[in-house]
Amino acid sequence: MKRTYLGEFEEIVLLTVAVLHESAYGVAITDELDRQTGRSVSISAVHAALHRLEEKGMLKSAMGEATAERGGRRKRLFTVTALGSRALHDIRAMRDQLWSSISPNALPAISI
Amino acid sequence: MPHTPPHFADRLLEFFCAPHLLEEVQGDLYERYVRDVRQLGVAKAKRNYIFNVLSFFRPFAIKRQPTEYPQPLFLHPAMLRNYFKIALRNLWRNKSFSAINILGLALGLTCSLLIFLWVRDELRIDHYHANGPHLYRLMERQFSDGKRTASPGTPWPISLEIPKKFPEIVHAAGFSWPGSLTFDANNKISKENGNWAGADWFKMFSVPLLAGSPETALKSPTSLAISRKLAVNYFGSPEAAVGKSIRIENKDDYQVMAVFEDLLENSSDKYDFLLPWDDFERRNNGWANDWSNQGPRAFVQLRPDTDVAAFEAKLKPFLHNYNKGIDLKNLASFDIELFLQPFEEIYLNSEMTNGEISGGRIEYVRLFSVVAVFLLLIACINFMNLSTARSAKRAKEVGIRKVVGAERSRLIGQFIGEAMMLTLIAVVVALVLIAILLPGFNQLTDKKIALPFTEPSFGLTLLGIVAVTGILAGSYPALFLSSLQPVKILKGSLKFQPGATFFRQSLVVVQFVISMLLILGTVVVYRQVNYIQTKNLGFDRGNLIYIPLEGELPPKFTTLKQELTQLPGIAAISRMSEQPGGIYNGTSDANWTGKDPTVKINFVNVSAGYDLAKSLKVKLLQGRDFSPNFTTDSVGYIINEQAAKRIGYKNPIDQPLTFWGKKGKIIGLVQDFHFSSMHDPIQPLIIRFGEKDDYGYLLVRTQPGQTKQALASLETICKQLNPKFPFNYTFADQEFQKLYRSEQVVGTLSTYFAILAIFIACLGLFGLASFTAEQRTKEIGVRKVLGASVTSVVGLLAGNFLKLVVIAIVIASPIAWYVMNLWLQGFAYKIPIAWWMFALAGLLAVGIALLTVSFQSIKAALMNPVKSLRSE
Repeated sequence: MKRTYLGEFEEIVLLTVAVLHESAYGVAITDELDRQTGRSVSISAVHAALHRLEEKGMLKSAMGEATAERGGRRKRLFTVTALGSRALHDIRAMRDQLWSSISPNALPAISI
Repeated sequence: MPHTPPHFADRLLEFFCAPHLLEEVQGDLYERYVRDVRQLGVAKAKRNYIFNVLSFFRPFAIKRQPTEYPQPLFLHPAMLRNYFKIALRNLWRNKSFSAINILGLALGLTCSLLIFLWVRDELRIDHYHANGPHLYRLMERQFSDGKRTASPGTPWPISLEIPKKFPEIVHAAGFSWPGSLTFDANNKISKENGNWAGADWFKMFSVPLLAGSPETALKSPTSLAISRKLAVNYFGSPEAAVGKSIRIENKDDYQVMAVFEDLLENSSDKYDFLLPWDDFERRNNGWANDWSNQGPRAFVQLRPDTDVAAFEAKLKPFLHNYNKGIDLKNLASFDIELFLQPFEEIYLNSEMTNGEISGGRIEYVRLFSVVAVFLLLIACINFMNLSTARSAKRAKEVGIRKVVGAERSRLIGQFIGEAMMLTLIAVVVALVLIAILLPGFNQLTDKKIALPFTEPSFGLTLLGIVAVTGILAGSYPALFLSSLQPVKILKGSLKFQPGATFFRQSLVVVQFVISMLLILGTVVVYRQVNYIQTKNLGFDRGNLIYIPLEGELPPKFTTLKQELTQLPGIAAISRMSEQPGGIYNGTSDANWTGKDPTVKINFVNVSAGYDLAKSLKVKLLQGRDFSPNFTTDSVGYIINEQAAKRIGYKNPIDQPLTFWGKKGKIIGLVQDFHFSSMHDPIQPLIIRFGEKDDYGYLLVRTQPGQTKQALASLETICKQLNPKFPFNYTFADQEFQKLYRSEQVVGTLSTYFAILAIFIACLGLFGLASFTAEQRTKEIGVRKVLGASVTSVVGLLAGNFLKLVVIAIVIASPIAWYVMNLWLQGFAYKIPIAWWMFALAGLLAVGIALLTVSFQSIKAALMNPVKSLRSE
């Protein structure tokens, strides 16, 4: 199967953008990542990933509204493109397929 | 917002972050900062902010995005065509301004380039010898009579002795002061100029030999080296000259052993022949061999690996073992040290004060370089001022260009490019002017400068000047115009800040300060030169003729005198061993009763014949001239007032005086007169009896108005008595003028420069005045309608400019006073700097500025207000 390679961090950022839906921008994504995954990442790392994803065509962006706390500066709001959506679905399908192929006793029990 | 993130971090981010990312990144960081302040406190928040900024130091954030709009290339042919078209249209539309700009720049450039050529020529003099960097001149530093003096005169034997003592010396050669001798060969008789030089001469100095070898050229005592010019003159060709014999001074025969190429234009020594060193000794027998005499020059060539400072230290006490006059136990009262001066520096640094080399022509080189820069600066300021003043007119163009996407850097490029284009035109005009002026300039400065187009360095210099002038002249308008905001320009609400006017005014002040300096300098130089030329020398230099006594003339001197005294038109006749005006021979070998034996006083001495005071018209204070009526006069001495003061006799006449071991007495006391250059104070002088000398000069005092007849009869008599020598004479006043040749040249040049400076400055002022008048047309109209008189309007317009000129005068006066005082220090006899000079220069500047400004002001004031107010 031919598809664009996505790094693990990129995948998570892409997913977070989808989670935030229409209000995804640098700081919001960073906060959401923190809350959802417990990972504390720097804003610059998120920006770098967003930038890369946009280059790959999985995200598109537009300038949003300005707020006072941003010193009157606008946000760049990101939305997932069709290609991005396709990539996420592909990954999920592949993982599901792999999960379903694991025999029930192949993995050691981990809890309770 | 109560707390803002750290300023410097913000600045840093703005600096490195790509502009298209900056807004979102900075916004995010601010947002995070505000949250951090709330949750973690200000300090922590600031630290986080800085950390976050730094973490953006990643390639994606730094990399600039290519702009979203297509950028026409700055140097795109279409753009270039546009720039040229606009520039030419602008030039054409404002013909008078363009002419002022180009003319001012061209004049400034002409001057600067001429000076540059002159300086370049001066710096190259004597720099053509292959061994140049290792050649040095031996110098003596003498301590006596409580004074330190330095001189290049050394004992004759030193150049023979010194190479034996120091392994550092490769070659050494003595070099006499220039002499003029009569040559006789192939039935041609003529006076030639040359020197006596050591045998190693042609090994040390790069003077190519056309025939003969450097080893034998000056080896034997009767050898002779002549220039190509002489060889061709006497024998037809250099090859034909070798081995031939030349009779010199109708006395001795010399063999031509070598023919050297004519000396280059950039050689400071101009000799057409060289005679061997032994011959010098033969001619000055006894005197030359004395180690205590300061005579000819001596040059040495050191090994390239010599530590010069260490060698100089070894050299310093060299004379202690040779000069018997130096008492090793009493060095404090009299001592002579040796030191070195690099050969290539001699030409520009030939003056000595207080025992040190103190400068010389190098000062004029520096002075004129400064003047060149100043003149160029004045011209550049014109350019800047006119362009900025008129920038309002081009502001619309800038606005439109900016709106359609011109970046600031391109506008700057455009304006500087335009300035360079103008400079280029000015350079072409300047080169044409220089080509026209060079012959006159060469005559004035006594040089043979040509425009060196073939040399790449000259082309590079021209390019450099265009670039520097263009950038200098174009920078302010470029920076200023390109900084204007298009919105303001196009809305018509553009107001020039007072800063711009202030800047313009200070530039005008700078121009006039420079002009004032040059005017004041000219006034002082002129007065000083005039003072020297008209100062009472103590002897009358008009109607006085010098004729060298040579060949048959000294033995037949009595006959000569008898015949001359019978001639009409001749008032008095005497003789002297040197020409008055060039008497420098010093000695301390004089004794009298009551002399302190430890003190060495330098007496200048000269020998003279009968009737000296009468011929020179020097005032005899006491006693009498040498006279044939007193046989004891052969040991009589005449002294001047300075000498009388140093000797200390109350009544010097008939008091004993021993000079050079000859016991005699003082027979006359003359008033001090200037027997050397006026750069030096009058020294003590002893005149000894020399009626029977076999050398010297005949002094002929003619009756006023009868010089011509006297000269004609002088020539017949001299030819008759001395057929083997050409008749030769000089006028005392012309010889005197020659002493101050360089001052005269400086005076003439600085006049030209001052006139040019004030002219260029006024060109600029004229432009500015017409611009102001044009801008204030409406204001003047309103004023006139309300009842202002023409005078008040003119006063209003001109007063502004006069204020600037007055400020310039106030600034320039003390600077000029200081600089000119420094220059005058070089003269022992000088004019005081008087207040009227400043007043004169100030009035001149104010007057010229007023004339320039009032033309425009009156024109504006006379305008009919109906016309100026109607047009809207």
